[in-house]
Amino acid sequence: MPVWLREHSWRQTLTAVYLSLPLRGARASPANIFCSEQYLKVSIPPFLFEAILYAPIDDTNSTAKIGNGNIFFTLYKKEPAMWDSLTLANADKEKLQYLRENAVLKAHEKAKEETEAKKITKQEHKKYALEATMKLEEAERKRIEDLKEKERQKVSKELELWKNQQKDGDKYKSIQKKGELHQEIEPLKERKSEKMNKTRILNEGTSKTRLKSTKGHGSCSIFSQNLKEEQLPAPRAAATIKVNFTPRVFPTALRESRVAEEEEWLHKQAEARRIINSDLSELEDLKEEEKNPDWLKDKGNKMFAMGDYLGAVNAYNLAVRLNNKLPLLYLNRAACHLKLRNLHKAVEDSSKALELLTPPVPDNEKARVKAHVRRGTAFCQLELYTEGLQDYEAALKIDPRNENIEKDAEKIRHLIQGTMQSS
Amino acid sequence: MSAAVGAERPQVVSHVQQALSYTVFDCRWVPRSARLLCLGSAARGTGIIQLYELHGARLELLREIEKPKPIKCGTFGATSLQQRFLATGDFDGNLNIWNLEAPELPVYSVKGHKEIINSIDGVGGLGIGEGAPEIVTGSRDGTVKVWDPRQKDTPVANMEPVQGESKRDCWTVAFGNAYNQEERVVCAGYDNGDIKLFDLKTMSLRWETNIKNGVCSVEFDRKDINMNKLVATSLEGKFHVFDMRTQHPTKGFASVSEKAQKSTIWQVRHLPQNRDVFMTSGGSGSLHLWKYEYPAQRSKKDSEGSEMGVAGSVSLLQNVTLSTQPISSLDWSPDKKGLCVCGAFDQTVRVLIVTKLNKI
Repeated sequence: MPVWLREHSWRQTLTAVYLSLPLRGARASPANIFCSEQYLKVSIPPFLFEAILYAPIDDTNSTAKIGNGNIFFTLYKKEPAMWDSLTLANADKEKLQYLRENAVLKAHEKAKEETEAKKITKQEHKKYALEATMKLEEAERKRIEDLKEKERQKVSKELELWKNQQKDGDKYKSIQKKGELHQEIEPLKERKSEKMNKTRILNEGTSKTRLKSTKGHGSCSIFSQNLKEEQLPAPRAAATIKVNFTPRVFPTALRESRVAEEEEWLHKQAEARRIINSDLSELEDLKEEEKNPDWLKDKGNKMFAMGDYLGAVNAYNLAVRLNNKLPLLYLNRAACHLKLRNLHKAVEDSSKALELLTPPVPDNEKARVKAHVRRGTAFCQLELYTEGLQDYEAALKIDPRNENIEKDAEKIRHLIQGTMQSS
Repeated sequence: MSAAVGAERPQVVSHVQQALSYTVFDCRWVPRSARLLCLGSAARGTGIIQLYELHGARLELLREIEKPKPIKCGTFGATSLQQRFLATGDFDGNLNIWNLEAPELPVYSVKGHKEIINSIDGVGGLGIGEGAPEIVTGSRDGTVKVWDPRQKDTPVANMEPVQGESKRDCWTVAFGNAYNQEERVVCAGYDNGDIKLFDLKTMSLRWETNIKNGVCSVEFDRKDINMNKLVATSLEGKFHVFDMRTQHPTKGFASVSEKAQKSTIWQVRHLPQNRDVFMTSGGSGSLHLWKYEYPAQRSKKDSEGSEMGVAGSVSLLQNVTLSTQPISSLDWSPDKKGLCVCGAFDQTVRVLIVTKLNKI
């Protein structure tokens, strides 16, 4: 049940009502005050004050001042008249309720209207701003266009000028040339024995002989011709240069090379390194280094080199439990199994290794060759010669220059043919 | 990257655009004139040579010549200024030299290659450089041949694959180092990324390297000086600038490489008036203008005491996108600084002006 605040005091003038409401220690904020035309409510839980006002007031202009432990309302009357009392005297519950609801509704409507009005003004402002920027941009664009036009015209003028100069220059030269030809026909007639191909050189040498033929004597032109001969060396002695081209895996541009696949492979390798299958309970009693798959791999390799194949297998097993994405572990374990004559396991491991060695790139060529060879050997020892041959041929495809693989493949082929003949 | 301030950067202005009715493979300025040539292939499978003249804001067609085979590339590099004969390579492997005044019969003709001649270059003409005029052609049959117009039928030098070696297409050739009568060097780029430098004086392979992606275009910054820089462009938007002054016995030439755009860089052309500025054209229809800056020291000694080159740096001056199709050919005018023509696979040829080149 709320605690009603009843110790309010009020006074009035013709146009306004001044209401002072002391708050019993409670702190008020604007959210606690609700006011509509004829209804005023202040609710600061648990305190409550409400009043059905005697006459309607102008609630938009009325104010409330919060401070000093009380709220001071300045309510402007809609109709200037003296009120008999602040509140309506005979306010029954129903009327109260009705008025309350009404008040709330009215307040809502007002709020809605306000937001609408705000929206509209906002839109208009936006529109205006947009138009303004558009105008500015247009102006800018126009300015640039004008600049360009000016440049263009300037340059066109220059070009015209230069062209006219050229034309004049040409005309001058052609007049000169005509003069030359007349002068040179005479010495040419004297010189019928001269080789005919010199006439071409004579034309070239026009610019040089121009000065000399003003003297108009045949002898000068001989000298000029000789000079020209020396200036142009004889045609080069014919020769051939042989070239080699840089070999390329793919005879097309970089964009079609296998860079993408190489990247994928590298990425996969990087990922594989990062995976550590944590099986903590069993690995707690291992030393730090024994948890490192690389260290284990090295240990395995050493044991394989010394001939301790079982030990090597153990090392690889542990390494695989820690990280089952490293293809080399499976590859090496396959080799161990081969030595131990666990042929099926060897096949399995080589297959797993090959699976992990996709995508096939030059980087993992050697590993793939090894995997194929080991699997092939295992198959052959299991007397599954055709499968074995398949693997050997795959290995050959990757590395066609390996003689050992060649020899072994040949042997298998003979074996197959031998068994086929005998069966 | 670029040191040039915004307002001072060279601008690429499109001056004239001309739509053509055939695929244009090469476009060249006729030296000492405001005329340009477009070489290409018509839809009916014949070759077209068109001669245009620049008149104000348009190109006027002066002459159209049709030839039986489509034409891939052409050069004026090996003729004199008075003659201005055009050397062309066509789709059938024929090398022809035409006198444009009388184009019915070629002045020189030889079936140089078994397959299309991809690229052609000439040296010794136009009053630039010294020595005999020579033309080099690179073809899809993997050979690079050097021709002298005074010698019929047989090439003067032939760079071919070793017997039994599978051939690689030669996509581009360029002459260089022609600073006196004897010295000449030919650089060839192949589709597997090989770049080979042949020395014609000693008739040997001087240097080779592989830049992984097919080489679309090579050019020396100047043909007629002691070789200074070589730019090689490739597929996948990369180009390499090699400093050719210092050759290390094992490492070859120092280089700097830049990845310009996602698409193939079809051509590189150095500005004739400034050898450190070059333009690259790309498969996305864009042109990039670059400037090379030399390092503080162009060579240094390595651990064994042999000299090795130091590559400088390249900065982008400007870029512009003109077309949606690759711009396959590009040529600077040797007479007017900044004037260039480019031909694209959208069957248009554009004359462009690059401004403010004096300020860089």
